Amino acid sequence: MTAPLLKYGLFGDEFSLVLAFVLGVGFGFCLERAGFGSARKLAAQFYLYDMSVFKVMFTAIVTAMLGVTYLGWIGWLDLNLVYLVPTYLKPQLVGGLVLGVGFVVGGYCPGTSVAALATGRIDAMVYALGIAAGTLAYAEVYPAIKPFVNADAMGQVTLPEVLGLPWGVVVFAVVVIAVLGFWGATKIERWIGSRS
Amino acid sequence: MRLPRLTLNQKLGAIALALGAVAIFSQPHRGPFVKLDTRELALVVEEQVDHVTAPELAAWIVEGRADYRLLDLRTAQEYAAYHIPTAENVPLPGLADYPLLRNEKIVLYSEGGIHSAQAWMLLRAQGYEAVYMVLGGLEAWKDEVLFPSLAADANPQQRAQFERAAALAQFFGGQPRSGDAAGAPAATVELPKLTAPPPAAGPATPVGKKKKKEGC
Repeated sequence: MTAPLLKYGLFGDEFSLVLAFVLGVGFGFCLERAGFGSARKLAAQFYLYDMSVFKVMFTAIVTAMLGVTYLGWIGWLDLNLVYLVPTYLKPQLVGGLVLGVGFVVGGYCPGTSVAALATGRIDAMVYALGIAAGTLAYAEVYPAIKPFVNADAMGQVTLPEVLGLPWGVVVFAVVVIAVLGFWGATKIERWIGSRS
Repeated sequence: MRLPRLTLNQKLGAIALALGAVAIFSQPHRGPFVKLDTRELALVVEEQVDHVTAPELAAWIVEGRADYRLLDLRTAQEYAAYHIPTAENVPLPGLADYPLLRNEKIVLYSEGGIHSAQAWMLLRAQGYEAVYMVLGGLEAWKDEVLFPSLAADANPQQRAQFERAAALAQFFGGQPRSGDAAGAPAATVELPKLTAPPPAAGPATPVGKKKKKEGC
């Protein structure tokens, strides 16, 4: 059995929706259990006294990266078939900043807002309305900003390709950066905590 | 020597570092090397489910369907001289690097069909699942779509089919050939064209709704 399971035809599109639902519910459950269903926890990241979001994100990156690398290495996962979001450097930087501002202001990212919505938080409901309004607004201005949205197209690229380094070296470098990041984040938490 | 007491987080960090260090030597990408399920491919070939006939393709183009990519595997000159509307020119050597998605429906054609069959194998081997060939290649496109013919002793059903084919042919700038003298007074004018090489007369400009989707 080789993954990606869908693209190897183990199941069809319909069943993939069922799987997506199960995985989504599981993801939301974990977010809520980890405390990410609260805007306070998420906003704390930006005030640097609780770096959970940073740690969780980087843990996810390292876990998935090592998993994908090893599964590809032993031949259980065909990396050629894994979909990569195409890179549009400048538009994605701007988009990331817009998302980040929304993250700070609203206290949620899109995923956590849905989890919070499910537990009945009113601020998450307002946030969801904001997502809908923002999506609508984006669709309206899309024709005007289309040239920029499609600028800087780099295709489906990966860090090893861009940096010209072997895959494994990039993997190791990311792990080192992550571990240093965890260490630094804990230091920052203690430092901010001791000041207040 | 005693190991220092590590917290759970520190242990996990150490494990990640160790896995990362080993991964330096990993080779997760297969590169140009492939693994083939020969039995599965043989079955596909046997059942001929990898074929699209020229009239089917013509109907898709007329409908403006955009759920597939049509690739012309001939040289750039041949492509410039004539190509099926909406086709993208991908000469065989460039196929491996051509930006295609693994889950896209890909329709190939070449002059006769040998090159498209070979390209079909290359793409299937690289994990492209939905690869099809135009049965008979451009030759079939000319015979069945651009210049369809009707035998003089055709039965009514064949005639009805020919009517549809003729409409398609005109859509693509071709000419229906009819052996039925009564049906077409201009048949004598059309006939010489049949023997002449038709592609030059074909539509150089794309016909119909040209929609090209680059994924999303």
